[in-house]
Order: sequence, then C-alpha cells, then structure tokens
Amino acid sequence: MSQIDPTKPNLAETTGPTVSVVETEDAVARRAKEAYFTATQRQLIWARFKKNRTAMVAATILVALILMGLFAPFLSPYDPTVAGRDKDYLNGAPQIPKFCDHNGCSARPFIYGFKTERSPVNLRLVTTVDTEDRRYVQFFVTGDDYKLFGFIPGSLHLFGVDEGYIHLFGTDDTGKDIFSRTLHAIYTSLAVGTLGVLISFVLALIIGGVAGYFGGVTDGIIQMVTDAIRTIPIIPLFMAIAAFIPDTWSSEMRFFFISIIIGFINWPTLARRVRTHLLVERNQEYVLASQLCGAPAGHIIRRHLLPSFTSYIIVDLVISFPYIVLSETALSFIGLGLKDPVNSLGVMLQNTTSADVLLNYQWYFIPVFFFIALVLAFVFVGDGLRDAADPYAGQKK
Amino acid sequence: MLQFLQFATVRAAMALFTLLMVSLIVFTLMELVPGNCAERYLAFKNTQGSGISVADIEAEERRLGLDRPFLVRWGSWVGNVFLKGEFGDSCILRLNINDLLGDKFLISLGICLTALFLAYLIAIPVGIISASSNSALLNGSLRFVSYLGLAMPNFLLALIIMLVSTVVFGDSMTGLFSNEYRNADWSWARVGDFLSRAWLPVFILGWSATAFALQTVRALMLDEQAKLYVTAARARGLFGRRLLWRYPARHALGPIVNSLGFDLNRIFNELPIVALILTLTEAGALLLEALARSNDQQLAGAIIFLLTASIVAVNFITDIALALIDPRIRKSVMGGAA
Repeated sequence: MSQIDPTKPNLAETTGPTVSVVETEDAVARRAKEAYFTATQRQLIWARFKKNRTAMVAATILVALILMGLFAPFLSPYDPTVAGRDKDYLNGAPQIPKFCDHNGCSARPFIYGFKTERSPVNLRLVTTVDTEDRRYVQFFVTGDDYKLFGFIPGSLHLFGVDEGYIHLFGTDDTGKDIFSRTLHAIYTSLAVGTLGVLISFVLALIIGGVAGYFGGVTDGIIQMVTDAIRTIPIIPLFMAIAAFIPDTWSSEMRFFFISIIIGFINWPTLARRVRTHLLVERNQEYVLASQLCGAPAGHIIRRHLLPSFTSYIIVDLVISFPYIVLSETALSFIGLGLKDPVNSLGVMLQNTTSADVLLNYQWYFIPVFFFIALVLAFVFVGDGLRDAADPYAGQKK
Repeated sequence: MLQFLQFATVRAAMALFTLLMVSLIVFTLMELVPGNCAERYLAFKNTQGSGISVADIEAEERRLGLDRPFLVRWGSWVGNVFLKGEFGDSCILRLNINDLLGDKFLISLGICLTALFLAYLIAIPVGIISASSNSALLNGSLRFVSYLGLAMPNFLLALIIMLVSTVVFGDSMTGLFSNEYRNADWSWARVGDFLSRAWLPVFILGWSATAFALQTVRALMLDEQAKLYVTAARARGLFGRRLLWRYPARHALGPIVNSLGFDLNRIFNELPIVALILTLTEAGALLLEALARSNDQQLAGAIIFLLTASIVAVNFITDIALALIDPRIRKSVMGGAA
C-alpha cells in the first residue's frame, strides 16, 4: 500500500525512457506534476493500479482465464457434452503429453494408447496404458463443430491427436473430456456472473438512486425493506426460489432464470453504496444549480450524480463478481442450479462426493484449481482497483 | 435507564418488523408453489386407489382453511408461529413440522454459533497482532490465508478434506453420529460421539468466517491506530500491549460486535451445502431435502424463517450489547438519531 503515492508520479513514465533534451531537474518535476494534474480519473487509477504488483499479476491471470473461457470451443479439443464423448475411455486418467520415452525422443509430443480389459478379479473394466502405441499430438486439427461466441461456426481446434482422443485432464463417467468441460465451465461462470452483475447493478442503481436522492421517508422505508431482505440467508433463499423451476425447462431457460435470481438477490449491498454516496452528493451546489434550471430528478441522478462515482461502481461490480460466481457454483452443486448439458463447476463436481470418485478418480477435482484461480484473481483485481480508485489510499500508512 | 429502555424498545420493534417482513416473504414463497396442500393431499390419496373429484378438493380446502384470502392465511400462520411456536403440518409428509425438526434445528444453530465463536476467538488476537506488527512475512501469509478463505468456498474445503481423509485415513469422516448413536436418546455417550464428529463441520463452517473476521479486525485496527488519540496516548508514555488493548482495540470492538449478525448469515449460507457433503442430519440437510427432492415448501419455509429469526435475534442482542458497552451509541440514540 505504501508504494502508491500520488504526489510523486513516476518520472520515467511521464517523460519517456530516452530524453534527448537535457532538462533541468526542476523542469522534469514540473512536467511530471503537470501530467499528474491534467490526468483524467481513469489515467490516475491506472497509474496507481500498475504499481500494485499483486493486482497486476492477478489481472494477467484473470485476462488469461477470461480469454480461455471466451475461446473455449477453439481451445478445447472436443465438444464438452455427450456428443463429444470418448466411449472407450470412461473414467479415464489424465494423459500427459511426453517428448521422450524408452523408445527415444520425438520433437512432436505424444501420448500413449491404451487397452481396455475386464479384470479377472472383480470384472471391472480396467484400462492399461500401452507404452508401445504412440499417438502424436497435432495442432490446428478439424474436429467437432462449434459456434464461437454462440454464432461464429467453426470446427478448427487448437490441438488433437492423429488417432483416438487426447484427454489432458482425463474423462468422467460418461467419457466426456474434463479439459474441454473445464474451459466451457469458465465461460458459463463468466456469463452467469456478467448477467447477474448487470441485473443487480441496474436494480441497485434504481433503488439506491431513489433512496439516496429523495432521502427522508422514502429512504427510511426502502432501507427497512432492504435490511429485512439482507437478513435472510441468501443461499437458502436461492434454493427456495430455484426449487420453482419446472423440470421441463430447457437448460438455456434454466441458465437465464438462475442468473436473474442471483442478480435479484445481490443488489442490496450495491444499492446501499449508491444511496450513501447520493445522500452526500445531493447537497452539493451543482445539484442545486441543476434543480434551479428545472431539471427533473431522473436527469439529475443520471447526468450529474452517477458520473461522479462511476469508478467506485465499477470497482464494486468487480468485487461482487466472484461472489456471484460462487453462488452459482454452490447452487449447481446441490442440484438446484444449472443442469447437465450446461457445463459449470458446480455441475462437474456434483457426483464427486461418492467414495468411488474420492478413492479412484481424483482427476475430477482438477477444475477446482482453475476456479480458485479465477475467484482469487477477481478478488485481488477488485482489491487493487479499490485501492487505486481511492485518492487517499497513498496518504495513509 | 429510561433512555436505554426506550432504545431497547425501538430496537425490539424494528426486529419484530423485520421478522414480519421476512415471514411475508417466506409465506409468499410457500404459496407460490403450484398446487396447494389440498390438491397434493388428495393426489396422494388418488395414487392409493380412491378416486377424487373437484368437490373433494374443495371440501379439503375448506377443512384446511385454504379458501380464505392470502393475507388472512398469512396472518394465521404468523400468529401460530409467534404466539404458539407452531409451524403447522408439512403437506407432503403430513407430519407436524415441529416434530420433524425436533432438536435438529438446535444442533444446526449450535454448530453455527460455535463456528462463529471460534472464528472470532482466533480472529481478534491474530488480527490485532498482525495490525500492530511490521513483519512482512506474517502480514503476507495472513493476507494469503484470508484470501484463500474468501476464494475457496467451504464446500470445496469440505470436499478436499474428504478427499484427503478418504485417501489417507480410509474414513470419509461424514455424518454427525456414528451408526449406533444415530437414533439413540441423548446420553453422555451420544454427546461424546457427537462432539467427536461435530468438530469437522464446525471447522469447515468457521474457516471462511475466520478469514472474513481476520480481514475486518485487521482493517479496523489499522484505521484506529492511525488516529490522533493513539498518538496522544503514546505521547503519555503508553506502549505495547497496554496501549493496544486500552485504546484502539476498544474502539474497534464496536463494528466487530455489529458485524456478528452478518457473519452468522454467511455461515448459514454454507450450512446446507456442507451438510450435503458431510451427510449431516440436521436442519441444513433437511432444508435441502425439502427443497431439492420433496418440494416441501412448508418445511423449507419454516427452516428459512427459523434461520432468519436467529439472525434477527443475534442482531438485536448485539445492538443491545453495543449500547451497553459503548456510551456514544447510547447517547446518539437518546439524541433521536436512531
């Protein structure tokens, strides 16, 4: 925290690395100061954010994960639904590409083939790795059809193998590729989060805006209702609402409904922030000036009050994002959220509590690490943004 | 004294209002389920072979009082809950909800409150130490643990503990009682058995609560330490633990006490999911059962209401406690700025 000091901007950044004209120290300092004073709010936040190393690392990871989610159909070798399953390799262990083995090395990575037999002991299907059978990894192969971003058709995948299938993270009990499912699940989480955040954002703006701008009795009533809603534990309430979803609904409808209810229950915290800020701001002179000009309340809130703290709202949205993702995961995990053809972490973890999975198929848990990374990245970026958006952050010790 | 009573009355009235609001929400949710109790009851009879008609349904509705308007039914539900503590019957199981819940709700509440208590038992001293120490290693690792507590939802922690204990010990450590005590009456042996298993859910539920509490305590202490009265105290020659406990810790206590209700709320959120993973047999599991499988909204509504009521109760108690320990709050209430 002590690194951020708005009074001493980084000179190298503002003057450039190679300064040909020799300036006096005074001139350099003046220029730096001028750049600082004329910087927009966004530039200031970015300059402070850049100095926070943890947040920058988290931001890099976050961008990587978001790209992975967005380009999931291209990056994943197979379709994540039953259509892309490998029926010969159920509950299969992860296959790690190698460059070398006892038969020598190859520039192209390869995986081993396998044989499936019934065990003579308990008649279970047992897969043995055949180290003589090499399958080479190919890049940019044509495979299952997909629609990128939901509308760009394609069938090109980043990698695949020349014969059979490759499963970096293994397969589940129906032979679906866990790697492909993980990538698609990231996309689902991001989509649910975005929708949920947007809905709660709009609600919070309207409710918090009205409460804060009008104040008095309106504010009192809205606060009482908001407080009552805030006391109900969210997940049980989610569960109660999600239980209404009829089984006949398609997975897309379920998806939208879940996002909507998650958005509907998450608004009170943000609404409170909006309200507190408006309560302070509405007594400023510029609001009075606007009122005297005859501007209606909606106009004042939208054009004058909200822009004064857009950056804080954005920060709040980033901070609330991981909690929305986690709510969805929890809900899907207990079977009241998303259902099978849609991939999400919760759906993928649904069957992992059985002793069979715990003892024999631990690769079911690989996606968990991606999600911890995703949530942590969001939390760190949100924290970094909050510190960066606070103009007084650098002055405290 | 009079002022304090006035304060307590106002708070009690507000708590009551919140409970009424919550009961309205819960009751509306219960009513929104397609098909009412009478239809379900008779549909069940129908599967048993006796044919039913519309007239039968109407007669049954009258018997159950379902033909009255919505607000009247809500009123009688609330009246029964508040005055007699009766939640009525579950129309799926056709059993009295109070019998069904039994001591299960108290067990859940006990587990959650213990988790909360332990969380603060750890968080307050550790948070204060970390706020006053300059060790980068201590602060960095605490920050990491806190963030992990936020990022790793409790159910993932539960899954990982199960994974490890299954692989290492060969026992998944699930359930609240061993087989021989599951349906036994309460006895010392049963209590011992319960305690030997209950520590796991307590630990899992307390995990993220501790992480949150640590963050809060640390941030509050850092805020308070920068204030002038601490500098003044230091100038008078106070230092070390005496200074910390005497001034900033006491100031930071208020907001911490205030946040207890919301922490309990957060723990309740995790309860049903942890219950599912650890196959506990308490209210969280019952709630899940009611919602996910049997669609029993009466039971679910009763549990949600009870959970919320305990949060409201905790909020009320902390408000009163805060007024007792902090004269500023008492004064501000007297001033009318409630």
